Parts: sequence; C-alpha cells; structure tokens
Amino acid sequence: MQNQQTALVRLVDITKYFGGVRALHSVSLELYAGEITCLVGDNGAGKTTLVKILNGLHQPDLGEVWLGNTLVRHNSPQKSRQLGVETVHQHLSLCDNLGAAANVTLGQEPTRFRLGPLGFIGFRQSQSIARQRINDVGIELSDLDVPVRTLSGGQRQAIAIARATVHGHRLIMFDEPTAALGIAQTRATLELVRRVADQGMAVILISHNLDDIFAVADRIVALRLGEVSLDETLGSTNREKVVACMSGLSFTKEANSD
Amino acid sequence: MTLSNLRVVALQQSFIGIAAMGTAVLIISGNIDLSIGSIFGLCAVAAAMLAREFAAPIAILAAVVLGGLLGWFNGLLVWRIKISPIIVTLGSMAVLRGVVLLATGGFGVRGVPKEFKSFCQIELVGVAMPVFILISLALVAHLMLSQTTLGRHLYAIGGSRDTSQAVGIQVRRIVLGTFALNGLIVGLAGVLAASRLGSANAEIGVGYELNIITSVILGGVAFSGGEGNVLGVMLAVALLGIIDSGMVALGVDPHWTDIFKGGALILAVVLDQLTIEQQQRRRTRLAMKERE
Repeated sequence: MQNQQTALVRLVDITKYFGGVRALHSVSLELYAGEITCLVGDNGAGKTTLVKILNGLHQPDLGEVWLGNTLVRHNSPQKSRQLGVETVHQHLSLCDNLGAAANVTLGQEPTRFRLGPLGFIGFRQSQSIARQRINDVGIELSDLDVPVRTLSGGQRQAIAIARATVHGHRLIMFDEPTAALGIAQTRATLELVRRVADQGMAVILISHNLDDIFAVADRIVALRLGEVSLDETLGSTNREKVVACMSGLSFTKEANSD
Repeated sequence: MTLSNLRVVALQQSFIGIAAMGTAVLIISGNIDLSIGSIFGLCAVAAAMLAREFAAPIAILAAVVLGGLLGWFNGLLVWRIKISPIIVTLGSMAVLRGVVLLATGGFGVRGVPKEFKSFCQIELVGVAMPVFILISLALVAHLMLSQTTLGRHLYAIGGSRDTSQAVGIQVRRIVLGTFALNGLIVGLAGVLAASRLGSANAEIGVGYELNIITSVILGGVAFSGGEGNVLGVMLAVALLGIIDSGMVALGVDPHWTDIFKGGALILAVVLDQLTIEQQQRRRTRLAMKERE
C-alpha cells in the first residue's frame, strides 16, 4: 500500500567517508508519510551519520538526497529545516531557563512588528501556537511560561517533540528518545512518536531497545558497518533476524538461511 | 538623603551603570569579559588624547568605536579559543591596561581642550548627560531583552548554547555582536567619565570590572547565563551607589567599601545557588512522583 504513494524522503546510494573510514556505503532508503521507520545498528554502524546527512550537518560523498521532489544539493541545517526536516535530540533539546511557549517557538518566534533588525515577539500568537502543538502531542500544561527546568521528564519530552512539529512537516527524527526514561514515560513517549506519524509525517526512530522497536515500528532498517543489512516491515521480520542483521552473528539457522 | 545628594549619587554611578547594561547583556548570553575595566580606561584615555587633535565629537565617537572593536576582538578570541572566557579576557585585561600605561607614560593626559569637558556637562530634560544616557540605555536594553526575538535568543544561548545552535539560531553572530556591543557601551562609559574629569589618567577604570560585574550579579543576573533583567541591575547600581555615599556620610572608614561590595557579591551568588538547589529538589520530587 505504502509503495504506491510517493516517498516523502528518498536516499539513493548514499556513501560517506570520514578520512579513510567508510561510515556509509551505498545506503538507499525510502520514507513514507505516517510510517515509523526504526533505525537500528551497533555503535559505529552509521546511524548517526545517516541522521546527520538527512538534517544537513553532513554532506554525502556520493549519492542523492531527495526531499519530496527536490533533489537536495549542498544541504545545510537551514535548508533541511526549510524543507521540513527536524530532529529531536536526546539531550540538547530544551533551554531549561525558558518556558514551554518560548521553547516550542524557539528560533521561529512569530513577530508583531519589526524595527530595523529587531523583531518584536508576538507573545499571544506564540502562546497559541505552543498550546496547540503541545495539545497535539497529548499533554496538558497550564502554565506555558514557567521555566521548563521545573517540569517533569515526560512533560519536557513532549515539549521537545512539540517544537519539532512546528516546522517539521516532512520528516521528524528521534535520536534515542527513551534512553533515559522509566517504563511509564517510555510508553508515553512512544505514543507521542506514533501521534506525530499519524499527523502525516515520516518518522525515523533510533533506538537500542528492541521492546520499543517492536512496540512502535512499521518498518525496521538495520545498519551494519555502514550498509543496510535489513529493511523489512514489522510483520515480516522477528527479533532474531534483527539482532542477527545488527551484529552479523547468526543466532538461529533460520536467520542464517535468510 | 536630599534631592541634590541623589543627583550626585546618580552622576557618580552613571558610568558604572552604563557599563553594567552592556555587561548584563553579555552575562545573560552566558559569556563574560573581564577586560571591561581596561577597555573603560583605554577608551577614556584615547578620547582625551584624540580631543587634543580633533574636535570633541570626533574624538568621542572614535574612542567609542575603538571600544566596540576591542570587545569584538575579545569575542573572536573567546569564540576561537575553547577555554573559559574568564582566562582569555583576563589576558586582554592585562594587555589593554599595559597599552594605557604605555600611551600615557603612567601620567594623566595633559592639554585637553575645554570643549571635551563641556560634552558631559550638557543637561537634557534636567539631568546630566551621563544620567540621561544611562536611563535611555536601560530602556532600550529592557525592551530588547524582554520583547524582541534577539533578546529571547540571548536568554536561549545563555540557557543552552547547543540547543540554540540546533534550532538554527545564529549563535556565533549573536555572541560576537554581544561582545562588540559590550565593548562599545563600556567604551562609551569610559569616554563619559573622561569627559566629566576633563581628562584621563593611567589609573582610570582600574578595578571597575569588580564594580560592574558586582552590580550585574547583585542585580539578579545569573553568572551562568540565561537569567536576569535590567530592572534588577539598575536597582543594584543604585544600591551600591547609596552604600558608597552613605558610608561617606556616616563617616565610615572608606577602606570598608570594598569589603561591603565583595561581601554583597558573595551573598548574591550564595542566594542564587540556594535557589538553584531548591529547584533541583523540586524537580527530583516531580520525577519521583511521575515514576510511581
């Protein structure tokens, strides 16, 4: 079904070297609206490099990045953001000293008027944007101005995700969002991720936790030594296969014969 | 305290107050420039020396621009050298003071024409020029910090530079601009101080970094960045001025002044720390509740 739509994001034969080290080799990937793609792989498999190519921090040495119908050349963080790509990082996601509204609109503040180089913030508009985005990810916050450092981990996570949805309309990437969370918070965060995908965006979720992956993924892509070693829908794979493709070790004969 | 007393205190404190506006913005963005006392001195001396050769407005303008350049250069160093700005600007503090000593030969600048002094004596709407500039600057800084996207981004950079970078804020441009603006404003303060005296000597601005930074921190600006506002800094500037003149009025040995100021600074930082610790505890409680 999904193959009939056009992909929101398409990577074709991406290769990336860092000096003499091959980080990615001929990686091709298609991402579709409403689909959560879980990216797995051992440390150094190339997950982070792939994410950084998508959000414009790295340039591929070979290959093409298509965002919709645009072939992106000379990608940059600004450019990929304009084309609707956002990343939710595990750590550097919020300014603790600012309120929820300020964090959600950070870098994209609505302005009432401009005076030379100074834009005057539209506080009411900023509040309503933030309130809507935060409600969309399913969290209730009464005060959007209290510094987010006083909020709980789950609320902070929701605010970080809400911010990504302000301008991310094509692809949102989550970099280990559940790494530091407890069981209840992990479940809540995975629900947030699902809700983001349901809004019609493509989602990449990087995780080391197979329970999380099998709970939320539509598709699982494994990287090993910079190459795609597995790219299958959730229904057509299982844990043994995923682990085998991540590690290169075969745990069962089945995985071997595949 | 009478009205005329108050006017004297206001004029005395206006130079520190003006400089504190620039430094407050810089500290809010999570940076620090310890060479402000030396920039103050160098700009004061430069203005006095230039006033011997050129018309007073040109001398004043050139010295203020010099301050901006010095601040900007400090910003470049701090950005490029990945160690604490305290160390980097401690170096420039010594270098710039050395330049002042070399330029003046350790003495006062002689033969400055009268018109240089008259600049500071102009009164606008009934207040002396430096006080007028302080009040205008405070208003502009307040609006900029509390109402504009630039102000919001300064707090954001002070809160988390990495996050600000990740959301696409032009962190480098803003930080360098803030250093330059701080140098410009501190330079202006130095020039005004020189104009008030009618000249400048090699010692002008020595130890001012303590006074300026004390005002800013006592005024509620977090040294780690991201917190604080102009009103608090203005109150601290006023308070320190009143302590100064109050101690003179009460006949307290003036050598106590530094002890009071340093003590006030330590007290402010301790209170700040206690607030942070309290918030930490609150957050721990919340997190524990959520996990239950």
